[in-house]
Amino acid sequence: MYKIIVDAQKSNLKLNIRELLAYKDLFVILAYRDLRVRYAQTFLGLTWAVLQPLATLIIFTLVFGKAVNVDTGDIPYPLFALCGMAAWAYFGFVLNQSGNSIISSQEMIKKIYFPRLVIPLSKAVVGFIDFSIGFIFLICFLVYYKYIPGQEVVFLPIFILLTIISALAVGIWLSALTIRYRDFQHVVPFLVQFGLYATPVGYPSSLVIKNLPEWATILYYLNPMAGIVEGYRWCLLGSQPPGTYAYYSFIAVGILFVSGLYYFKRVERIMADIV
Amino acid sequence: MTDIAVRIEGLGKKFIIGHKKSGDIRNTFADFISKLLGRTSGSTEEFWALRDINLEIKRGDAVGIIGRNGAGKSTLLKVLSRITQPTTGRFEINGRVSSLLEVGTGFHPELTGRENIYLNGTILGMKRVEIKQKFDEIVAFSGVEKFLDTPVKHYSSGMKVRLAFSVAAHLEPEILIVDEVLAVGDAGFQKKCLGKMSDVSKNEGRTVLFVSHNMSAVQNLCNHGLLLNKGKIEFAGNMAKVVNRYLAQYKTYNIDKIHFGNYISSVKIRNQEQEFTKAFKYGDDIIFEFNLTDTFSFKHHHLGFFIFDSDGNKISAISTAMKTPIESNDISGINYIKFIVKSPPLIEGSYYIDISITNKTRGRVDYIQSACFFTVVETDIYQTGAKINSHIGKIYLEVETYFTQNI
Repeated sequence: MYKIIVDAQKSNLKLNIRELLAYKDLFVILAYRDLRVRYAQTFLGLTWAVLQPLATLIIFTLVFGKAVNVDTGDIPYPLFALCGMAAWAYFGFVLNQSGNSIISSQEMIKKIYFPRLVIPLSKAVVGFIDFSIGFIFLICFLVYYKYIPGQEVVFLPIFILLTIISALAVGIWLSALTIRYRDFQHVVPFLVQFGLYATPVGYPSSLVIKNLPEWATILYYLNPMAGIVEGYRWCLLGSQPPGTYAYYSFIAVGILFVSGLYYFKRVERIMADIV
Repeated sequence: MTDIAVRIEGLGKKFIIGHKKSGDIRNTFADFISKLLGRTSGSTEEFWALRDINLEIKRGDAVGIIGRNGAGKSTLLKVLSRITQPTTGRFEINGRVSSLLEVGTGFHPELTGRENIYLNGTILGMKRVEIKQKFDEIVAFSGVEKFLDTPVKHYSSGMKVRLAFSVAAHLEPEILIVDEVLAVGDAGFQKKCLGKMSDVSKNEGRTVLFVSHNMSAVQNLCNHGLLLNKGKIEFAGNMAKVVNRYLAQYKTYNIDKIHFGNYISSVKIRNQEQEFTKAFKYGDDIIFEFNLTDTFSFKHHHLGFFIFDSDGNKISAISTAMKTPIESNDISGINYIKFIVKSPPLIEGSYYIDISITNKTRGRVDYIQSACFFTVVETDIYQTGAKINSHIGKIYLEVETYFTQNI
């Protein structure tokens, strides 16, 4: 027997995972919709998901690899950059998409009930398709360079999970903030662009540790992706394992995720009234 | 298992009108500063869309909710659908709820009809397997079989509505909440939908909450009624009684009391004996008088009104654009318009008017719904005792009948 009780006196901040699971069909179909619509009536279709990272990779290789000549040890530069890009592209995508996600589905929000968290979650599902394509791309490069990951590769799933959580953490924050303050619509693209350089995607983090003062390094690692990207390189390319600084990143992910959920639940109550 | 489907206690919903609604950082920051300084920003206004609603709905009841625009009907449905949170009070719902406040929520133009059935169905709360089972039924009901794999953007609007409603019609909740969604689609399809809805409530014993302006639809469908006025329950009970009560509410009144427009200060209806009245006999002239505010100027504006019957069918329209009431060389300072409608052939029943103010260059600038109400009572105009009422149709025609022998 279903029973719903709504009481204005009690603020319901419980996450209600059971309800979220009951709506899993919804976020699958929303993700499907986004995917279908994104490449609808494009000539190249899903090829775009490969072309975009490829173009970025070429630019990075030219600028950081050749012109600046960044020292990546004995790891070939394209492989080094691609490893960071795979993780960062997912993070950036989810950020971009979820920031606007609630506003762009306001018609739905005003007309029907469902756990609003489904919307940013579905964006994370869509992004995962692109991530998988990027990852296959990365494997091709590994094969090409005859690079065999060491036993650290068993930790890779943990870092993939961390990527998803951190993308969601920031995504949930941004989707809730954007609905309150439309200013964030302008902040998000900037944040993604800025983040690409504030994350060791095109260069190794050792450069940061070496050249920046201690406080700036800590600040740098508060970027949740900083530690995670290092983790990817450690698992796949056998570079330095994530250092102590990386733990700042992991803690940042945890705090952002929990506080994001809390903030989202608070905004959820008034979402239909303010969109 | 209780036999109460919905229990509402002291429910209220407050909106803040003012700048706070669409927040931006600057305003929030300014608010924060003024709060620190102990000042409150004075530009907000509270508005209670719902106030102190108490209600119990039994399992299997079909409840029709009526009231003027802005009475809080849709807000009540939104709160019960959990789209928005109540400000005060509580409610509990026993059973699976589906709410249908709009047809085709979430429809995406780029997706095909088939995909949209799945998308819309899932949004309305159906499981994927459920949709799969009913898929053929849904498609058959909608009648768009041929275009299932065409993107919905190529559909006509009628087809879109039919497809969307078919999905909704196959929801199987224990409690169904429906807003005025039947106003769309052609008459035949509307009839089909109403039939489906009455199936749901009468034959399948489900609880239905239904908001509508269509008085005949609510009377056909619902056994219980709820009349809302300014966010409060004004009257509840048997549907027919509630409808009567609602229609009787349309008295002549000053419009500015309910802050509708800025062009008209009052509307009055008289008969040919110059008495203010609401009831007219067959053959009576109906005189509509409008007092205008300074904002209205004949140089720029036209005033018109539509006559509707109690089912919401538009009967006719009258406007100064059709016939200017005065010589047009001196039109400044006019603040009163009178229309004398010469013995209109309206059949007995209740009628209401919507007023429309149009700017001669910019188009409609104001529209006042349900501005006032009048009734036409059955009269034995031919003194034959013959019944001339709504059974004969929408209007009566004055006739002269001659009986002669063929010469």
